[in-house]
Amino acid sequence: MFLINWFWNILADLGLLNKHAKLLFLGLDNAGKTTLLHMLKNDRVAILPPTLHPTSEELAIGNCRFTTFDLGGHQQARRLWRNFFPEVSGIIFLVDAMDRERMPEAKAELDALLAMEDLSKVPFCVLGNKIDHPNACSEEELRQYLGLYQTTGKGKVPVEGIRPVEIFMCSVVMRQGYKEGFQWISQYV
Amino acid sequence: MELEQLKDQWAAAEDQDGVRLSWNVIPSSRLEASRLVVPPGVLYTPLKERAENTLVQYEPVTCKAPCRAVLNPHCQVDARAKLWICPFCLQRNQLPPHYKDIGPNAWPLELTLGYSTMEYKLARPAPAPPIFLFVVDTCQEDDSLQALRDSLIMSLSLIPQHALVGLVTYGTMTQVHELGYTECAKSYVFRGTKDYSAKQVQEMLGLLPSSLRPQAPMHPGQAPQQRMGPGSRFLLPVSQCEFQLTSALENLQKDPWPVANDKRPLRCTGVALSVAVGLLETSFQNAGGRIMLFSGGPATEGPGIVVGPELREAMRSHHDIDKDNIKYYKKAIKFYENLAKRTAHNGHIIDLFAGCLDQVGLLEMKSLANLTGGHMILTDSFTSSMFRQSFVKIFDKDADDNLLMGFNANFEVLTTKELKVTGLIGHATSLNKKSASVGETEIGVGNTCAWKICGVDPSTSVATYFEVAAQAGPQHQQAPQKALIQFLTYYQHSSGQFHLKVTTIARDLSGPTGDASIAHSFDQEAAAVLMARVAVFKAEVDDGPDVLRWVDRMLIRLCSRFADYRKDDATSFRLEKNFTLYPQFMFHLRRSQFLQVFNNSPDETAFYRHCLLREDTGNSLIMIQPTLDSYTFDEPAKPVLLDSTSIQPTTILLLDTFFHILIFHGETVAEWRKAGYQDQEGYENFKQLLEAPKEDARDLIADRFPLPRFIVCDAGGSQARFLLSKLNPSTTHTTGAWGAVPQNAQTIFTDDVSLQTFMEHLMKYATRWNISP
Ligand SMILES: Nc1nc2c(ncn2[C@@H]2O[C@H](COP(=O)(O)OP(=O)(O)OP(=O)(O)O)[C@@H](O)[C@H]2O)c(=O)[nH]1
Ligand SMILES: [Mg+2]
Ligand SMILES: [Zn+2]
Repeated sequence: MFLINWFWNILADLGLLNKHAKLLFLGLDNAGKTTLLHMLKNDRVAILPPTLHPTSEELAIGNCRFTTFDLGGHQQARRLWRNFFPEVSGIIFLVDAMDRERMPEAKAELDALLAMEDLSKVPFCVLGNKIDHPNACSEEELRQYLGLYQTTGKGKVPVEGIRPVEIFMCSVVMRQGYKEGFQWISQYV
Repeated sequence: MELEQLKDQWAAAEDQDGVRLSWNVIPSSRLEASRLVVPPGVLYTPLKERAENTLVQYEPVTCKAPCRAVLNPHCQVDARAKLWICPFCLQRNQLPPHYKDIGPNAWPLELTLGYSTMEYKLARPAPAPPIFLFVVDTCQEDDSLQALRDSLIMSLSLIPQHALVGLVTYGTMTQVHELGYTECAKSYVFRGTKDYSAKQVQEMLGLLPSSLRPQAPMHPGQAPQQRMGPGSRFLLPVSQCEFQLTSALENLQKDPWPVANDKRPLRCTGVALSVAVGLLETSFQNAGGRIMLFSGGPATEGPGIVVGPELREAMRSHHDIDKDNIKYYKKAIKFYENLAKRTAHNGHIIDLFAGCLDQVGLLEMKSLANLTGGHMILTDSFTSSMFRQSFVKIFDKDADDNLLMGFNANFEVLTTKELKVTGLIGHATSLNKKSASVGETEIGVGNTCAWKICGVDPSTSVATYFEVAAQAGPQHQQAPQKALIQFLTYYQHSSGQFHLKVTTIARDLSGPTGDASIAHSFDQEAAAVLMARVAVFKAEVDDGPDVLRWVDRMLIRLCSRFADYRKDDATSFRLEKNFTLYPQFMFHLRRSQFLQVFNNSPDETAFYRHCLLREDTGNSLIMIQPTLDSYTFDEPAKPVLLDSTSIQPTTILLLDTFFHILIFHGETVAEWRKAGYQDQEGYENFKQLLEAPKEDARDLIADRFPLPRFIVCDAGGSQARFLLSKLNPSTTHTTGAWGAVPQNAQTIFTDDVSLQTFMEHLMKYATRWNISP
């Protein structure tokens, strides 16, 4: 079937085959976490209400499992994030690149996560989403907003002893940019 | 008759009898019935509150056993011979002696046409006052536990003084508080890991079997202690134990067991529930009562465990369930189902209140509420107003200061020979009663004509489905024939007496084959709700895509049967007025959280489905297709299409999804509001505009149960997604020029098909479809 084949390809492209990764989708509410997950799962754009309970999806291909947890980003729900830290292999942190007003809030949450002991070795892929929109900020701006001037590098960089962190700009609805982010994080999980 | 007139007629029938039917004319042949696609069905609200009170204080006149139908306006009565003919079994019955004087001037109420629904207050008193047993999870954050404690203490002022109350608390272990012991706080402790049998619970609590069933009926004010047996050590009238219970609640501590960072607290929800069920079972079988579970997280030990205590072990997801590889799932489902059946058999209710940001296992526990007519309320925390206000509402009272809740109901359906009942979908359990009214096929819970509904309140609504009996055919009779259905609800009224509610409805049978009156009698709203219940019932067992295909297939078949068209010509497709909205209802139902599970946890799905299976036609329709009203300057508010084009810069929208009430400010309105115009002189009309939807929202919230979430948001804001996800996406990111994204407030990012496209496909398929009878 078309959809199934498509999964095979995209996951191979994303570099996630033959690995078992637990990925958390974190970020403020409205960043695009659920839209991204839906896209990865169904290759379709969908509009969904704010996420209340954490939901998980799993894509099993051959002997490889890919488990994602999509957590609500509203203030209350953030209290739950830490329950999902045990055995996490990577964090996809989404930021709405259009919403300049909430950049400080996004930075505060990201900073808090980066400072957590439990996550000190977990790679972070920061996705600046919604770049299809004319008001979206650039990667440079986003780095400033988030205080992420120095990241560990986008290429295939072996990192020793430091936690990999990188920023990628994307548009989920235009199916752009996030693929690079997943490829990047897959080297570290 | 014109559609408007028919609609008035249906509305009047709903007011009077609490019924809405998919078809208001019953096909007289099986062949014709098989071509209806939507089965004949009745959505019935047994305890619907009515403008006119039809409560009488005498015993009903009933037909001989085994029929037991109740005398009603559709019976043929021979006043002179003092007999009546039962329309259900055609037996002749003698009228009781005290009916000897009936005649045109003294006609009993139940024989009067306007009194097709009667409520009899019977001489039989309840075996005990209403019982409320709180089962409280103590593994909670302090603020949540505190809020819960406050709510429970407050409820003691809402529960009648003579009602019995009790307390079970649980965490790592389960404790049953002996409220009857006044020297100091005393409780019985049960290990959280052990699966206690009913007998063990009994023994440990010192409830000897000789105490089975209370001896004598209870009346308010009577001292219950001596009469109640040993159960009364744990369940006492509020008037006697208020102090004990209040202090037990005040002294509730967070479960003392330390919880490591990477662990969940140990919670023995299963043990707590089975102890609670056992306690009521031994002492108060068949006496109305509710076990109210307040759960702050998932069961992590003992029977009924839904997830292990290690956080690295995740709660099961919809995906896991589809794949059928969850460690605890099947066992837990079975455990709670058995408990639910026991509880239903005993005549008790279980309410489930979840106060947690994550799942607590409603999926596994759902049968507890769904089989006993209990409530299911899902909230973030017991601090939320959604919990607090919904909880209070449960104790609403009627004009006579009686609780608006009925207990331990037996619900029975009788039919005349043309019709047979095929099943019920709602919060009930089969009583496995066979009768001449039971059909051959099954929809929902069938093969019976009677069900137990342990908890029934004025909004409890059940869907019953019917088939046309095999032997019936158009008969040569002078008068147009009618088919009759009688609903009997025998229940414990909260006043302490048993009541019998009787609703008898009669509907015309169709004439010879091809009678157009059947099509005209289609109530698309009732039909949509009845079909939604079937879809949800199927979704509980079948795969999601299969259910969606079923919904599609039924819709196509219905349209191809009842629409007007030339074969293979989609442009010629026309639906009669009373069918035009039906496809739209199905379109929204397909997209709804009842059938789509992505972005919902299994607990959320269980909750939403629970709510749909308990409401009447009006409320269910709001859940299926939310209502949208638009407010703008100098115009009264008006309903608008649930469509993305209804978003306009200078309007405010009010959305009601039943679960959410949302006010949405268009872009310009939002800017002005941000700028604070409403507080400036000369902008009074703007201030008014902002206020109007708020007032209407307040009205909607006021009598909604459970309390809906109230949201105020602006175009482009995060919360606006509650609205966007419900709208028909007629303007999406792909509707503009290819490549360029013409984004504005109306743009919805979705690849989902719009209603327009859906209709095009429907017309194409319906005009092509060959239905075989
Ligand atoms: N312009 C644009 N909008 C997007 C893009 N991706 C998502 N959106 C929109 O942004 C909103 C994001 O919604 P979700 O994906 O539900 O957000 P979330 O991060 O899951 O939010 P919570 O569940 O509340 O934590 C939706 O209205 C999407 O339509 C994108 O690439 N471009
Ligand atoms: Mg989300
Ligand atoms: Zn009879």
